[in-house]
Amino acid sequence: MDKNIKILIVDDFSTMRRIIKNLLRDLGFTNTEEADDGTTALPMLQTGKFELLVTDWNMPGMQGIDLLRHVRADENIASMPVLMVTAEQKKEQIVEAAQAGVNGYIVKPFTAQTLKEKLEKIFERLNA
Amino acid sequence: MSNDALVNEDNLARARDLQACIKADDEKGTKEIIDDLTDIRENALYQEVGKLTRELHDAISAFGMDDRITDMTHHDIPDARQRLNFVITKTADAADRTLTAVEESIPICENMEQQAVSILESWRQFTQREMDAEGFRKLSKEIDGFLLTQSEGFSTLKGHLNDVLMAQDFQDLTGQIITRVINLVAEVEGNLVSLIKVAGLAEHHEQPQEKSRQELEGPAVPGVDSGDTVSGQDEVDDLLSSLGF
Repeated sequence: MDKNIKILIVDDFSTMRRIIKNLLRDLGFTNTEEADDGTTALPMLQTGKFELLVTDWNMPGMQGIDLLRHVRADENIASMPVLMVTAEQKKEQIVEAAQAGVNGYIVKPFTAQTLKEKLEKIFERLNA
Repeated sequence: MSNDALVNEDNLARARDLQACIKADDEKGTKEIIDDLTDIRENALYQEVGKLTRELHDAISAFGMDDRITDMTHHDIPDARQRLNFVITKTADAADRTLTAVEESIPICENMEQQAVSILESWRQFTQREMDAEGFRKLSKEIDGFLLTQSEGFSTLKGHLNDVLMAQDFQDLTGQIITRVINLVAEVEGNLVSLIKVAGLAEHHEQPQEKSRQELEGPAVPGVDSGDTVSGQDEVDDLLSSLGF
């Protein structure tokens, strides 16, 4: 697993961004940037410098699910792995995210261990 | 014959007159009698509407909620909004203070950990008599520096732990505020139910419209049914693997 990859963290709450950022740093991923919703995140992603997207679902402006769809629709970044970290627990929504092409789905509140496992799983599949 | 609003001797007389006029081919007379009857009918209707309006007004007044509802809309609800905003500010502030304390503590821990690992290595060499005098001088200097950073580091860490402790003071305040807002919501609910009863709409339960797909459910709350949800990460993983993930 390459720990130097650039990761974008998208959440409307700054505390959640800080928590994810600290957990990622603890796992060795220090190369992170933040955005507070899909509208600000998308142009950042389109620069092509990010290799992983960690996003919330429910945000003002553009929601996480729409950000995911935009990423999958843009051929330059379509293959970027996307990990969703959200409080949305409806089965219907989890299925919707899966159909939109999410690579991992974590429900809040979550543990450092869960984040680690999901990231490992994502990279395992990428390298397979 | 009864003396109701419509069934009475006067109307019977009008009916006979109307029959006579029609038989006599009296267009003008027929029209006058029909106009009279229409007026009588409309008056009765207006009286009935007036009566209903008065009854509704009396019921609402007797219910004694005019003032309380006005008070709630003008004061309590904006007040509750302000209080809930305060809860958001307080909790965000507590989270920020805690995160700052943690973020500042981690490098101190990492630094102490690194130094301890390095000293431990040298110490092992020393106990196994693999160290010369020069090495030992270096080690004792290292231990000296380590003890100094430790005492400084621990005092800073203690300060940060205290910050984390103090940041929890929001719980008491937000708990009280939320309790008050819950009480207000209960009161509003009670009044709405009574209002529905006064308006006689209790039997007309309309099915609530299905939520639009755009509306997200948000965090699951124990005891609140929010439909077909999973309860935790394990169920998410099961669901996704059942979809071939």
